[in-house]
Amino acid sequence: MPIVTSEVSRLASEYKNRPPQEILELAFSHFTNIAISFSGAEDVVLVDMASKIKKGVQVFSLDTGRLSPETYRFIERVREKYPIALEVLFPDPAAVEKLVKEKGLFSFYKDGHKECCAIRKVGPLRRKLQALDAWVTGQRKDQSPGTRAAVAVIEADMAFSTQDHALIKFNPLANWSSAEVWQYIRDNDVPYNELHQRGFMSIGCEPCTRAVLPNQQEREGRWWWEEETIKECGLHVRNMSR
Amino acid sequence: MPITLVKKIKADGAPCRKCAEVEQRLRDSNLWHRIDRIVIADERDPESEGMQLATQYQVDLAPFFIVEEDGHPAQVHTIYTRFVKEVLKAKTSEQEELAEVMENNNLDYL
Repeated sequence: MPIVTSEVSRLASEYKNRPPQEILELAFSHFTNIAISFSGAEDVVLVDMASKIKKGVQVFSLDTGRLSPETYRFIERVREKYPIALEVLFPDPAAVEKLVKEKGLFSFYKDGHKECCAIRKVGPLRRKLQALDAWVTGQRKDQSPGTRAAVAVIEADMAFSTQDHALIKFNPLANWSSAEVWQYIRDNDVPYNELHQRGFMSIGCEPCTRAVLPNQQEREGRWWWEEETIKECGLHVRNMSR
Repeated sequence: MPITLVKKIKADGAPCRKCAEVEQRLRDSNLWHRIDRIVIADERDPESEGMQLATQYQVDLAPFFIVEEDGHPAQVHTIYTRFVKEVLKAKTSEQEELAEVMENNNLDYL
């Protein structure tokens, strides 16, 4: 029986210190119409874990049209290795054509990445999520301490739920560190994107991703020309006490 | 069904850009008259009514809307396009909706 929104905070609290595999088991025991989002990076550990729990797990990747060749090759290696149903999703061609016609191929360096990401990532993602009851992501708290410290292992997905369609999001790796993810990759002989060997920690679109130096934050390798930590629309309620 | 819009004044005294954008979009769409009350959340003043409402409803984004209906708990909306569609029953474009998802969410894990 699917988890309903009112149960989410209790389950998030109950499972917050459980291993990722138990969170995946919980997800698959409650949802059949569920898919894993695979970005072509180290979230491959979720695919490995899930395929040991259940055969034929739904997995999807967003092909923005701007991924690195290494990422395309990696996605295919994952498809060949695991007994999964891997779907590659594409953006609306008309929307991409309009953006490129109006602003060129590198508008994100001038206008910020969000407009391009909205078209190339969020559009196809939303289309996919409208057809699911739950999804699984590889987001972790340590990826961006400034913006992701509060990620729970189970959430009601307020970004993509609608009045008529509640969507539950599982983040089994929320409390894992990068070191734990890589320990799992080594221990389980999990394939990984060759870009990691060249200093890339976070892997997204080719023009928006770069290698980072030792001890740099993972997200410093993405959209480095923008200031991502400032969210102007935040209401600083916690600073109110005097 | 009284609707309250809570707008923010930033800690430096400047108006919030997103709040101004939302107000303009409501005006451009001829929906401004559907807002019954405007309240200010002044980050310099924790006692300001808007900051008190933010605390009461545990909201940490601005602007936000409070929709009251007799016999029901108040509903709080922080996503503009969803508020327009679900409460005001008006149309929004896909482009607007996707842009708002990007604006309000950190999706860099995808």
